[in-house]
Amino acid sequence: MRRWTIAVGVAALGVAAGLFTLGVARDDPGYGFAGSSDASGAALLAAGWALIGCGLASWVRRPASAFGPLLAAAGFAWFLPEWNNPAIGSAPAFTLGLALYAACPPLVAHAVLAYPGGRLGSRIEAGVLAVAYTGGLLVLGVLPALVFDPQAEGCGQCPANLLLVSDQGGVAEDLYRAGMYAGLGWALALSLLAVVKLTRASRPRRSVLAAGAAYLVLVAASFAVSLDRGFVSNGTLERRLWLGQAVALVAVALGIVWSWVRARRARSAVARLVVELAQSPPPGGLREVLSGIVGDPELLLAYPLRETGNLVDAHGRPVELPAGRETTSLMRDGRPVAVLAHKSGLLDDEQLVEDVTSAARLALENERLQAEIQARLEELRASRARIVEAGDAERKRLERDLHDGAQQRLVGLSLSLRLLRSQLADGGDGEALPQLAAAETELRNATVELRELAHGIFPAVLADEGLAAAVEALAEEARVPIRIRSLPERRYDAPIETAAYTVVAEAARIATSTLVVAAKASPGALVVEVETQDGDALDVAALEDRLGALDGRLVLVRTDNGRVTIRAELPCAS
Amino acid sequence: MRVVIADDETLLREGLARLLADAGLDVVGKAGTAEELMRRVELTRPDVAIVDIRMPPTHTDEGLVAAQEIRRSHPSVGVLVLSHYVESRYAMRLLEEHPERSGYLLKERVSDLAVLVDALERIADGECVLDPTIVSRLVRRPREESPLDELTEREREVLALIAEGHSNDGICKQLFLSPKTVETHVRHILLKLGIGETHEYHRRVLAVLAYLRG
Repeated sequence: MRRWTIAVGVAALGVAAGLFTLGVARDDPGYGFAGSSDASGAALLAAGWALIGCGLASWVRRPASAFGPLLAAAGFAWFLPEWNNPAIGSAPAFTLGLALYAACPPLVAHAVLAYPGGRLGSRIEAGVLAVAYTGGLLVLGVLPALVFDPQAEGCGQCPANLLLVSDQGGVAEDLYRAGMYAGLGWALALSLLAVVKLTRASRPRRSVLAAGAAYLVLVAASFAVSLDRGFVSNGTLERRLWLGQAVALVAVALGIVWSWVRARRARSAVARLVVELAQSPPPGGLREVLSGIVGDPELLLAYPLRETGNLVDAHGRPVELPAGRETTSLMRDGRPVAVLAHKSGLLDDEQLVEDVTSAARLALENERLQAEIQARLEELRASRARIVEAGDAERKRLERDLHDGAQQRLVGLSLSLRLLRSQLADGGDGEALPQLAAAETELRNATVELRELAHGIFPAVLADEGLAAAVEALAEEARVPIRIRSLPERRYDAPIETAAYTVVAEAARIATSTLVVAAKASPGALVVEVETQDGDALDVAALEDRLGALDGRLVLVRTDNGRVTIRAELPCAS
Repeated sequence: MRVVIADDETLLREGLARLLADAGLDVVGKAGTAEELMRRVELTRPDVAIVDIRMPPTHTDEGLVAAQEIRRSHPSVGVLVLSHYVESRYAMRLLEEHPERSGYLLKERVSDLAVLVDALERIADGECVLDPTIVSRLVRRPREESPLDELTEREREVLALIAEGHSNDGICKQLFLSPKTVETHVRHILLKLGIGETHEYHRRVLAVLAYLRG
């Protein structure tokens, strides 16, 4: 309540200051910008009052931020250059005008750069602002005022300069000129900073920064045309520049008002959020809802996992926060429930963030838990896939070892026996020959058995030549006819080929009559269909385990003639 | 006959070389890798190169690839691939491209000197050779309703010999039949299977194999 009283009081002061200034300017239009026409008078009041009004309103809404007071101060400072008017009649007012006539630009720049939180973005901003304040308040204000005597400089009807220490007209002129040069520099630097900030800002903030930058460029221009004179005159060009500044300042105020309107719209969107959430959106739907409400189509909503803190999306997939985007944590009981990555400045309104968090609390918690479960499932699936792959790799290794090791040895051994037999036969020692021949036969049988065993462990043709070759080879050795409808000639990742092959091989193992096999590449998946008479004997669980490890699916479809189609869908990059 | 032997297993390579030398063949080169094999073939221009299918570095099908390369670049040099793989697909890779002067035997045949030498001689004569075990797998594989069922036992024997790459003369010798009888069998078989009459020997082998694999 007290805040309101103060605000109303200051506002009244602002109205009075404005009217007073206009009066002074009208009394002697030759000394200022505002007195020459109704339009310039209106510009004076519009810019000053807009800043004061917006500043106070901002302060009431967000008292912790320095932005409101800065803007209101800038509004008052806007009036002060007009007070350098002999017609003002009051020595203190005249002196104030003298000392603070360049106070407005640094204040506006400060406010705009610190909008809306009240804090500056970087040390560079703070440094340039310090220079601007020094230049505007000291070099162009208080310092020359100490040595500037208006009467001595030819202004007979001017009120006394209360700050005057000693009249050093030359020094004052040098100070003013130096201040102009410096002013050109800092005003341009500040406008540049505003433009840099603008490129990364959210939309409502952008318009405020743009208007502020425009104002500062116009200020720089005013300094530029006055460099030689050392003071800002009220020639036609200067008048136009001043009018432009007024328009830019009104635009600053309008930008702020627009951001309030947006915030209000966002608030009503929060109400809509509550309604939409009542219909419980699907996983990932919350992001859509929030993105619509805050007006950022690329909004990213991530959930930190309880145990690791790793961020995942609503489906439990790991996400990385995009670089260069601002992040805001939605907190609950001091813990982050969700993290939003958004355009910078979009969620500066703490109240809005709080409202969203509390409105979406249940939905957020729900989606977070879902994400957590999904992430766990994914971990589980991945570990299952690793186990299956490790098993396959082990079998493949075993097959290779048997072929390259044991079988090779046996072949070598039979070769040695064969050589031995030749030698014995040549040496005429024929008694051992029959035994030797028997041993050779045994050895050959062992070799064949070993080959079949190795092949049963893992078909090398699958790894070497792919699914089509492996299924064709299976058809050569199976106990039942295998009718092949279609097989994809392309290669897939080893785990997918192995899983697809296992489905067919398993069906062939238990089959008692003809199998019909069709494997087809469909978008994003390899689909294997095996039609069999013996679907009931199938070890469904084992196959499901293998397919599940790859996020695949097993479906058994019973046809009218009592046959079963085993359909395995294996997701893969197509 | 001049042969080159390529196998990365020293024991096997040397043993086989001795066995073949004892049988009166001229072993003009030995190699442990596919590259060395290509060099030996280039230098010695043998009648037949005997190549193990598994060779360094990956021990999968380097030997087969090298054999194909030899057939491509040296048409006068025959190849005999020795393999652990009983699947017909590997053999077909070799035979489909260059059926003449190509052979594919299972590795355990190395100790069966008669089979080995016979295969080498047939290859040197320009025939193609396919291991009987692989062929019998193809002939015996389970099928739905098939014209193969209508073949007589003798016809099936002849069919298998055709698939193994034997010429009519070879079949005569194997089965102790007269050339006329064999010709009659062959004509009947091709008719029953619906394979167009073809007198060209290699085309006949490939057509029969394609039929058996299909």
